[in-house]
Order: sequence, then structure tokens, then C-alpha cells
Amino acid sequence: MARGKTDVPSIAPIKEKRSLGYYVRGFLKYFVLVFFSLCAVVPLISCVTTAFKTADEYKATSVMTLPKSFLNFSNFVKAFTTANMGRAFINSVIVMICVLLVSVVIGTQLAYVLNRFKFPGNGFIRTLFLVASLLPAVAMQVTVYNIMGDLNFIDHLYGYIIMSCGTDVISIYIFIQFMENISVSLDESAIVDGASYWTIYWKIILPLLKPAIVTACILKGVVIYNEYYAANLYLISPEIKTMAISLYKFVGPMGSQYNLICAGVIISIIPALVVFICCQKQIYSGITQGAVKG
Amino acid sequence: MKTKRIACIAMAGLMAASLAGCGSGDDKTEATTEATKAATEATGSDSADDTTAAAADGIKSYADIQLGTDFTDLSAEIKFYNNRTDLDSDEYNGKNWKQYLEDFNKEYPNIKVDVITDTNYADDALTHLQSGNYETVMCIPAVDMADLSTYFMSFGDYDTMSQLVNYSNRWLYHGQVYGVPLTATTQGIVYNKKVFADAGVTDVPKTPEEFIAALKAIKEKNPDCIPLYTNYAAGWTMGAWDDYISITATGDATYKNQKLAHTKDPFKNYGDDTHAYAVYKILYDAVSQGLTEDDYATTDWESCKGMINNGEIGCMVLGSWAYPQMEAGGPNADDIGYIPFPISVNGKQYASSGADYCYGINVNASDDEKQAALVFVKWMTEKSGYAYNEDSLALVPGSESKIAFDGVDFVADEAALEGEEDYLNQLNSESELNVSNGGNDKIQAIIEHAANGDMSFDDIMAEWNQKWSDAQESLGIEANQE
Amino acid sequence: MANKKQSGFGKWASSRKGQQVIICAAFAIIPLLLLLVFTYIPFGEMVKFSFYKMKYTTPVEKREFVGLKNYIDVFTRSDCFGALKLSLYYIVGALVQLVLALFLATLLSFRVKGGNLFKGLIFFPYLISGIAVGFIFKFFFTRGFVFDSILQLCGFNLDNLPYWLKDQSINNWTLVSTSVWRYLGQMMVLFIGAIMSVDAELYEAAELDGANKFQQFRYIILPSIKTIVTLNVILAITGSLSAFEQPFVITTGANGTGTYFIIMNKIAHTSQKVGLASAMAVVLLLIILICAGLQKLFFEYIFKDSSADDESYKAKKLRKKQEKDTRKYMKQMTASAKGGK
Repeated sequence: MARGKTDVPSIAPIKEKRSLGYYVRGFLKYFVLVFFSLCAVVPLISCVTTAFKTADEYKATSVMTLPKSFLNFSNFVKAFTTANMGRAFINSVIVMICVLLVSVVIGTQLAYVLNRFKFPGNGFIRTLFLVASLLPAVAMQVTVYNIMGDLNFIDHLYGYIIMSCGTDVISIYIFIQFMENISVSLDESAIVDGASYWTIYWKIILPLLKPAIVTACILKGVVIYNEYYAANLYLISPEIKTMAISLYKFVGPMGSQYNLICAGVIISIIPALVVFICCQKQIYSGITQGAVKG
Repeated sequence: MKTKRIACIAMAGLMAASLAGCGSGDDKTEATTEATKAATEATGSDSADDTTAAAADGIKSYADIQLGTDFTDLSAEIKFYNNRTDLDSDEYNGKNWKQYLEDFNKEYPNIKVDVITDTNYADDALTHLQSGNYETVMCIPAVDMADLSTYFMSFGDYDTMSQLVNYSNRWLYHGQVYGVPLTATTQGIVYNKKVFADAGVTDVPKTPEEFIAALKAIKEKNPDCIPLYTNYAAGWTMGAWDDYISITATGDATYKNQKLAHTKDPFKNYGDDTHAYAVYKILYDAVSQGLTEDDYATTDWESCKGMINNGEIGCMVLGSWAYPQMEAGGPNADDIGYIPFPISVNGKQYASSGADYCYGINVNASDDEKQAALVFVKWMTEKSGYAYNEDSLALVPGSESKIAFDGVDFVADEAALEGEEDYLNQLNSESELNVSNGGNDKIQAIIEHAANGDMSFDDIMAEWNQKWSDAQESLGIEANQE
Repeated sequence: MANKKQSGFGKWASSRKGQQVIICAAFAIIPLLLLLVFTYIPFGEMVKFSFYKMKYTTPVEKREFVGLKNYIDVFTRSDCFGALKLSLYYIVGALVQLVLALFLATLLSFRVKGGNLFKGLIFFPYLISGIAVGFIFKFFFTRGFVFDSILQLCGFNLDNLPYWLKDQSINNWTLVSTSVWRYLGQMMVLFIGAIMSVDAELYEAAELDGANKFQQFRYIILPSIKTIVTLNVILAITGSLSAFEQPFVITTGANGTGTYFIIMNKIAHTSQKVGLASAMAVVLLLIILICAGLQKLFFEYIFKDSSADDESYKAKKLRKKQEKDTRKYMKQMTASAKGGK
């Protein structure tokens, strides 16, 4: 992961003079980065220590006490098997792949027409999406449920997937942002050659949007992966439950088994983290392969 | 939504028969409590358009079903929607849903029951209901009494049902019983005997003064011990305090469902250490005198079980269902005890008891499904051992229960008067105090004000009285000085 | 795609103009349909609720039409509108988060040793699910637990430290900080992505003109990513007005942390005043829209001057690029245009 200079792309290979100021700035830079990295990681301590404790140990000791053994993986095993996290993981992957695929296709298509064509209603559509992102989902849950019911989408993976595909404004704006940096002259020269708009979208725009797609997928993917409210409402049968709600097995009306929940949370984070780390490289390769440079 | 009103067409003819034994039941009457975060109750008083009897054509009523002989070859598929996610797990410390269903299917192999559980049950159940597309059997959530027959079928009239199941008046409307309890609880205090004894408290406190004095003694003896743990952060543990203001604080079985709605200023100081005022004052005083945990905002429900078991907590105000959990919280089960709430009315202590969530059967289900659902509910209540396993009070008259108080009888709330079934619900909604209906935040506010010293207890009670009076006025409910 | 038999339509459909219309319609229809079905229809229903006195389970014919009463209540009740005051905490937090994210994103966009590691670590909290966040922070801020221990290691005395979640003068800041903790990395990655979309040649040009790092940030990076920054400012501030999840999972909105949405949720579900809660949602939406509109105007004003300065670089770059691009893609397009259609 930390391979340093090899895979770190620099925007501009700027050569600085090695003055005192250079070193001070260097120190400050790393100090800031280390500080924020620590801030990000430290709160997770309680989760990790709890995951290694037995139920009795959890009740008897404070959260701050270290577990007797960091080799006590029984919670992880228990969480994985009891909550059927293997199945849940597959479901999560299915949901993610479908939703991301559809969202990317319709998101880039929409961004393409919004960015390239000045038709009446263009601004209105943008506003519709922006306003939609401001609407209070909490308050609309019940009415959405009725529509899901009318469409017979409840307790079906496909229903949940279609509902989740509603493109979110963030990814559309990411696509538009990138599109602004893709020269219109590419389109124009293609049109001169008689290419259709579909060809332009498919052969020029989509490949050039690759880095934007990766960013949008990461951001949207995390949201979908962790979605628990809607997932809990619409995915009822045990065999279609996703990762985020499989852990609800350990939450009861009269108490929660936190040691198992923590272990489950850690398990659920691992694939997300792996994907994120891999995709980081994707972003950079996407960029260096010269989306913009051609 | 459209299908909702389809309801009781086939049964309309039997309506009249059932209006007999309603109203103020006498011998075994009771209702409510909310042992869990579950909310319950409802509103709306207009009625008269409903009433259903169970025994429509082709359906054998709850009372008539002979378990083990009737319908053993009935083939149906039903869904049972409830809040007990913990029973879904093989890790559950007790009998889980899978095991109950296995037992059930030994007798009824062709009735397939699909158990669906939900962590966010109280809200989601209402969402399911209003969509018109809901499960065959579910725990009745907070609907209006007047709307019961829109959603659920009647198990039969109260005269019949009360012979078969205790606390069956929880969802009693126009003489019909719409809910059969899964479990029932009583209200008291779970405490660590050793902590109390070490502090020299040998007699069980019977009044608020004695109780506060006991807490003080504990604090003096062992400053590291938390005399009263509030469980503030969990929220629902706070709302549970509401369950002590009726029978426990008044000794009157009609107080909650018949009198409270008509009482002017129910939160006023009666001057004799009774009524709601005395209940909440115990909490306020304990907090303001430092007899509760230092940092209430971060209390942890899971940890409290181990802490009370190990003597780090003196006592907690919780329903009887919590008692076995505290015993199981650590190695010192023998140290845990359960005592009545320290309020005496004319020298006598009372313990209220009532139903938690109740089974309700979808009124729009097919006849076969309804029949199978009735069989399932009756089997769960009478044969499964569920109530006993889950530390409930006895549900079937004469059956066994793990919970008992020495020398204190359980008294159950009587049902509301006819025509007033939804008064309490309406007042709760309008005043937003939500007494025994998930009004956690108002109890939390008592702790906040007591800790910050920014509002006196009398001012808090005056504010509640004001809200209650305003609600009575806007709903046109008559309020009497008591 | 064009129907050959109807020559008029066929002609139109194969014309540039016709193709444009077709592609716009084809590409916009599905997202708009999803938007309509899962957002605007439910929203319309909610607006309807706001004129009724009802519970969710009240049968349709028993719902009582009350006109604007719910809206009047929203403005006259002390707890509804008053709860918006808490949003100020979240707005401050959101702005701090935005600035920090921009700062870190810029830092990490230049050459940094272990940059990926830092990025990963700072982004990490975003991966954690809401239930876990609630659990983690209840313990993190418990008296004498994680946070207090760390501060004690740094030389603070426990007696001088506040109760992070109990003390009402500080607990909202505590919640805001957890929100920053969770979303800082997400915003940073977003900005890194946007910065990456800026053509590196711009920096080279700037470098040649003797621009320093700050100037590069001010005149190249910022204008180039203004779309996404503006959007994020709008979302951050409107998100603050509708803050919900942090108090919901950590304090359940108790102890003076009940934001507008928390109160709304309680009114809708505990007291079941669905009409009032719906009215609250509509009122908040109107407020948000006004804020968003004002912000947009404000940003257009801010970026007006900078885009002029930016012009020289951008123009230079574009000219160079266009020539290159045109040459490079000419061949490819010719091929695909023939094959593709």
C-alpha cells in the first residue's frame, strides 16, 4: 500500500530548491498527514478490542481493557457463521455490481447529454436532481414503501436494486466535472467524420470518464454497501439479506451482543477496504494513461 | 392501501352477538406495560363501524380449536412478523424460533410458518400495516383501537377469551379481543442483595424516603458503587418509568385506562408520596443528589448486566423480564433480587402487571391462513412454553411462571370504558408526553434538569400538567379535579 | 433506429437535430423515470399528508383535512423551529470539513511519500457502517475511556476535562466532530479525483510563469474544480440543516442534541403526528432551497473574477490540446463511425 514514490502520481513534477524552508514545509506536511491519519484510526480501538472479547469478558471488563487474547477469533467465526455473512456478502456483491453498473451507465449518459447539449429543460433536469438530493429521505420512507409495494418490489433483490439505482446527484456532478475537461473538439471532429452521438458517447466519452467512474463507484459503492435502513425494510427473507443488515441478528429488543457485532463490522470492512485500496491504483492509472492527455 | 378496507364482509352477520361482555371487565382485567422498547397504543375514538367475530363461516374460533387434534392436516403457509431478532440466532441463550417451529411442525407438519424479525420493528410494523400488504400474524404495533378491525381479526369476545388467556384485554375493543399476548410482565426494581445488605439496608424500602436513604447508604458505604443506574442512553429503559405511575403509584386498577385521561393535572403533588409525581421525583432526587451514574449520557445497557451482577450497581428500575438477564449477567446470580417499587398507598405496596406485544391476525388473509394462524397462536400460547421460557408472567390461567413477589399481589390495569378506548392514545399523541407509549425523552429530560439544576422538579411537573391540560382541551376530553 | 418507411420522420431522425433529440431522450428517460417514481411521487404524497391530521395507519377515509394548520404549528411550536439552531453547529463543522478536505486533497495531489497510505487511513472511517459508528463513539467519549485516556497521556488532568456527551454546552460539538471524522475522507477523495481531472499541463504553464503553490491552488485548482466544490458546499450546508444520523446513532437525539430531523422523526413515529412531521419536512425543504439558491449566486459571484485570470492558461492549454486530440482521434473515429453504425 505504502509504496511511496513509485505509484504516487504527481500532478506536476516540480523541482524545488532544497532550502531550509523546503524541509520545514516537508515536516509540517507529514506532521499534518500523520495527525489526521491517527485521528481517523484511533476511535476504532474500542471496536477492535471488543471484537476479541468473549461475552463474559465483555460484561465483566471495561471497553478500554485489552482482551485476554488477541488470538480469540471465536467471535469472528461465530459472527460469520451465525449471521450467514458468506451468503450476505454474495448478496452485497450482487447488489453492488448491479447498482453500480446501472448507475454508471445511466449517470454517464445523463451527464453526457446534460453537458453536451443545450436543450430546453437542461437546467431544469439538473435542478430536479439537485433538489432530489436535498429531499428528506427519512420523511418519505413510508410513501416510498407503498410504491415499492405496488410494484411488488418488496422482499426481492431486484426490487431493492432498482430502487437503489436512482442516480445520485454527486456522481452526476462528478461526471459533469470531468466532462468539462474533455475537449468538445473531440466530439466535433468525430461528428465531422459522421459518427453518431451514441458512438461518441460509447467510444470517446465513456473511456475518457474512467477515472470519474472509479471515484463515483467508490463513493456510491460505500453508501450502498453500508445501507441499513432501506435494506432492512425491503430485504426481508434471510437468504437475500446484505452484509450491513446481517449483523442485526445480534441486536435484539432486550440487548445487543456487541462483541459479535464488532467482529462482524470488522469482517464487513475488510472487503470494502481491499476494494478501495485496489481502486486507488485504478484511479491513478486511469489518469496517467492520459484521459486528458489523449 | 386500497385493500385495507376490504375487511370483515363475511362476518358482518355475527357482529351483534359479540357486543355483550365488553366495557369494564371485573375479575381478570388488565392491560399494558412496555417491557421492551416496543411502543404501543393508539388513538381515534370514532368507531361503531366495525366489530368482527372470529367464527365466520369455515373458521373455527380460537376457543374451539383443540390443539393436537384439530387441523393437524391443514396445509397453509403463514408469515409471523415480530421484533425478536435475537431469537433468530442459534447463539440465542434459550429456545430460538427455529426450535419452536420444529416443535410446531411435529404436530402440524403442513402449516409452514415463516418467521420474520425486524430490529426496527415498532416503526416498520406501522409501515407494513399502512401499505395494506402485511404479514398473517404480527405483533400489534401502535394502532388506534378504533382502527383495529381494519387490520386484525377478532379472536372472539372478551368473556370467552378471558377464560383462556390472561391480559387479553390489552387490545379489547367493543367487546372483541384483537390481541393475545406473547408475554406479560410486572413492574418492580431489580437489585443486588449483597450491595444492599453491605450498606446495612436489610428491610426492603417501601417508600420514596426509605429508598433514597438506602441509595445514600450504599453510596456512603462504597463510593465506587452506583446506587441507581438509570440506563439513560438506551432511551426505552427511561420510558419504562411510566409503567409505575398507575397501579404501582395509586393502587387503582382503573387509573391508567379510565381515570388518567380525565384527570386534571395528573402530575401534581398529591402530598402523600403517591401518584406520578412521587414516581418521577424519586428519579429527580436520586440524580440531583448524585446517587446515579456520573456520566449518564454514555450508559451502556449491555454492560449494566455485568455491573449489577458484580455489585458495581445497586439497583435499576426495570420490568420483571430483566430480572433473569441480570442473574445471567455474571457469576453471582444469587445476589440478584427483585422487589416492588418503593411506593406505598395507604401502607400497601402494589405491583402492576400487563401484556407486552400481542399476536394479531391479518383480517384480510384467506380463511386457511387465518385458521392456520389461529392454530399457531394458540399453540404458541398454550403449548410452546414460550411465555415461560421468556420469563413472562403466567399467560394461561393456572400455568407456571418464574416471576413471583413475596407478599405482593399482581394487579392488572382494567380496560378503558367503552367509547373512551382511544382517549389515552389521543392525549398521548396530542400532548406528546406519550405516557407508557415510548415517551422516553420526557423522562430523560428529568435527568438532564436534575443534573444541570436548571429546572426544578415542580416546574417540570407543572409543564407536563400544562401539556396534558392543553391536550384535553383541544380534544374536548372532560377533565375532573380529583 | 430511424424508421425507413416514414420518410419524413426517418429524415428527421437521421438529421443531426433529430439525432440530438433522440439521444437526449434516450439517455435521460431512465434516470428521470427512477427519479420520478422513487423520489418525486413519494414527495408529492408527503406534501399531501402535510395538510391532514392523521397517523400512518389511519384509514384513508378517516384522515382529517386540516388545511394549513400543520404549517402554522411548525412555525409556532418552540421545539420545531428552535431545533434548527442546532444546525449552526453542523454548518460550522461542515465548513471546517470542507476546508480541511480541500487542504488535504491538495497536499496529497502533489508528490507525497506514502500518499496512498494516508489517503487510505483518512478515508477509512467512511467505510464504517452507521450502527458501528454509534457504538464506537458512545465508548470513545465515555468518561475515562478512549478519548479521555488519550488526553490524559497528553498531560491533561481528567478533572479538568468536560463530559463530552453529557455536558450540553459541548455535546453538539462532539457530535459534529464525529461527523467530520466520518466524512472528511470521502470529501477529500472526491476533491482528489476532481483535482486529478485538471490537465497537468496547466501546472507546467503556471510553473513557467513563476506561480507558487498557493497561486496554483487559487488560480488553477480552485477554478477548475469549482463545479464540484460549489456542489459540496451546497450539500454540506443543506446537509447540516437536515443533520440526522450522527445524533440518531450516538445520542438518539437526547440531552439537547435533537436536530430538526430528529424531532421530526419523533413526532412522526412516537407521537404519530404524520401531518405535522410532513409539514416540517416541506418547510425545511423550502428553507434549504432558498439557502442553496443564495449559495449558488454567491459562488457565481466569487468565481467570476478568478475565471478571467484562469483564461490565459486554459486557452493556451485548450488550443494545444485540441490540435493534438483532433489529429489523434480523427483516424480512430473514421474507423468506428463506419463500423459502429
